[in-house]
Amino acid sequence: MTTSNPLIETRALVKRYGDKTVVDQVSFEVYGGEIFGFLGPNGAGKTTTIKMIAGLLQPTSGSVKVGGYDVQKQPILAKAASGYVPDEPNLYPKLTARELLRFVGDLYGLDRTQVERRIPELLRLFDLEQAGDDTIDTYSHGMQQKTALAAALVHDPKVLVLDEPTVGLDPKSARLIKDILRQMAERGAALFLSTHILEIAERMCDRIGIINQGRLIAVGSMDELRALGKGSGEQGQVVGSLEDIFLGLTGGAEYAEIAEVLR
Amino acid sequence: MSLQAAEHPMPGLWPVVWKLLRLRWLITYNGFRRASLRRKIGMLFLVVLILAFLGFVFFISWFLLGFLRSPRLAEVAGNVKPLLDSVPVLAVSAAFLGILITSFGVLLQALYLSGDMDFLLSAPVPIRAVFITKLLQAVLPNFGLICLFVLPLLFGLGAAGGYNFLYYPLVLIVLAAMALAAAGLSSLMVMFVVRVFPARRVAEVLGFAGAIISFACSQSGQLFRFGQFSQGQADQAIQMATRFNAPWSPLSWAGRGLVALGERQWLPAGGFLIISVGLAVLIFGIALTTAERLYYTGWASIQNNRRRKKAPKVARLAVERPTGKLARRFIPPAVRAIAVKDYYVLRRDLRNMSQLVTPLIFGIIYAVVFLRGGGQPSLGRGEAPALFNEIMKNLFVYINVGISLFVGWMLLSRLGGMGFSQEGKNYWMLKAAPVSVAQLVMAKFLVAYLPALILGWAFLLVISLVQRSGFSLLLFTLPVVALCIAGNAGLNLSFGILGANMNWEDPRQMQRGAIGCLGALFSVIYMGVSLALFFIPTVILALFKLPVPVGQLSGLLVGGTFSLACAALPLWLVRKRVPLLGESS
Repeated sequence: MTTSNPLIETRALVKRYGDKTVVDQVSFEVYGGEIFGFLGPNGAGKTTTIKMIAGLLQPTSGSVKVGGYDVQKQPILAKAASGYVPDEPNLYPKLTARELLRFVGDLYGLDRTQVERRIPELLRLFDLEQAGDDTIDTYSHGMQQKTALAAALVHDPKVLVLDEPTVGLDPKSARLIKDILRQMAERGAALFLSTHILEIAERMCDRIGIINQGRLIAVGSMDELRALGKGSGEQGQVVGSLEDIFLGLTGGAEYAEIAEVLR
Repeated sequence: MSLQAAEHPMPGLWPVVWKLLRLRWLITYNGFRRASLRRKIGMLFLVVLILAFLGFVFFISWFLLGFLRSPRLAEVAGNVKPLLDSVPVLAVSAAFLGILITSFGVLLQALYLSGDMDFLLSAPVPIRAVFITKLLQAVLPNFGLICLFVLPLLFGLGAAGGYNFLYYPLVLIVLAAMALAAAGLSSLMVMFVVRVFPARRVAEVLGFAGAIISFACSQSGQLFRFGQFSQGQADQAIQMATRFNAPWSPLSWAGRGLVALGERQWLPAGGFLIISVGLAVLIFGIALTTAERLYYTGWASIQNNRRRKKAPKVARLAVERPTGKLARRFIPPAVRAIAVKDYYVLRRDLRNMSQLVTPLIFGIIYAVVFLRGGGQPSLGRGEAPALFNEIMKNLFVYINVGISLFVGWMLLSRLGGMGFSQEGKNYWMLKAAPVSVAQLVMAKFLVAYLPALILGWAFLLVISLVQRSGFSLLLFTLPVVALCIAGNAGLNLSFGILGANMNWEDPRQMQRGAIGCLGALFSVIYMGVSLALFFIPTVILALFKLPVPVGQLSGLLVGGTFSLACAALPLWLVRKRVPLLGESS
């Protein structure tokens, strides 16, 4: 169920630190009901782009719209429409999960009774019910990751931005998160996630964007990328999987040869 | 590959210890080499200062102990030899206990929190080598620190008493043996404690207790009346010192052995020193092997606290107190949420608590000193002009305001100056949330202002009650404190925004130095100016025997306007900086 209006829209997005251009003229759209995968090698500019979408970083130039609102000009409205899960779940270590969710509910201006109803639901969903009253500094990395996701879902956002959401999670939790994301997309939310696990991107995402050295080098569905990958692959090479396409586009194919020599 | 592993020779214990110690040295050296020039100069200056301090303590001890040995003093003060003989006992005991306590924290860090234990234990090196290195790592800095105070004292004693030359190297050997024994015992203590409590929590409690005790000790001297120190109290102190020199106490054996050696009494010297050094080495050996075994078997890594699993809390009933309703009406939910969150975080993190309790200790000590003085200015030799004395007398009426503001100011420098920095790496949560700059600043202002106001008012009320000052005075001083603290909160918060540092692991790195100092400087200047504006009209009117309430009202008007301007204007000036906080460049 995709909508006609994009819920995330970036236009010629640029982020520079001094002379170094980290994100260079990145433009794309993500529609409601769509899961958009954002791939790229380490240091390609994924997290910087995500931070600009979430309103954590000010772009040097270009614009980002979330839920139809300009993140620069209408930050409060844009942020109210979105949820964000960072790659490192830095949460207040001395709050309990329950207190954190209540805090987030208040930040997003939700009605207190609504928040109190939602907290046990989310804790149960993420299997955090027993640990809900322990402070977060006693949690494992996976539990913190799940708490961060629960916090991003408290206000039932229209747009969810996730940076490496499955890192450090056990298979059961990873599966749970995949199911939740799929359900959210079916309900019309736009999901933007970066991942290094190409299998997740291939199986979950409706469209994929590949960023390399700050530039968006490919955007499209798997079929579109496959078609694009054929052009860039070696002569006679079969370009089928996302891994082949990704390595072909980002120039990582030579590593396969090195691995072959070491075998 | 396995063939290569079989051929890998088993490395010796001491070469590995040496290698690991070299690694530590390399890390320290790299820290120095890569430090900024300013830091390097600072470190070198510190070394010179330490050397100067060493020399100073040595010569002071030499002269002082020499003076205590003079026969003419003995005629006046009686026999001081027992006191002198107990100096090495006291020094060695203090070194042992000092290292036992201080290495606890260092070993806790080295064994449980540094994160390199797994890396080192997985390497093909003897486990014992790793433990010896960890113990030495814990002992060496503390040993150095203790030596800084104890060595010059003991060498000074030797020089003053004309001790045998063997005394000097034996002092070092005895201290080193004691340090090793203390560190060994400390490592076992760490493992037993971590069996019960989480290592990180223990470190927090330790930091909190250490900070509070050292601060309280450093300030408690203010309460001591040196002028009334009697001969009886001096005798009691000497008796207490000599009581440590009991022959049955193992801690006294080393000190007694050193004195006997210095005085060329070879038999008792040999006996005491062999027993004490042998005992220390034995304790170290047993502690080392036990600690190693406890760690390797996993005993020391598993917590034994069978905590009762808490039942999940049910949603709280929506019963509200009237104050809650009032707060809800005037304070936006996001502001309240941030304030409540900060309250939980500050209360639960003991690293914050130690910084917050400090003003309380300060306030209590200075309030006691002030109240004990009768709340009257000292007239000195009475040579000051009468007008000056009159002004001072009128100003002293408001000294309670000064103490209350001082306490509030100290609290504000932490709560306001570090209000944003304390968010640290969690700041993304506030930044990603739909919270406006005004709401964020308002929340942080309230978090800084309200506790400082409550504490300031509490001090003011208590001092006013003890002094039995009039109600009209209280009516004037309460708003003065409230307004003054508001201006200070605004200033501190503004400088906190300018110098905010979100990228910290240790709370001491929260604020960048220069901006923090500038903030403190500005807030002190502000306090002086605002107090002058509040009180000068009152003092002038009192001097001319005119109605004081008129002066108080004028003071409130002028000082209040200035304070409110200082509360709002700096924050307005730095407002554009808030959305950029937390962006690494």
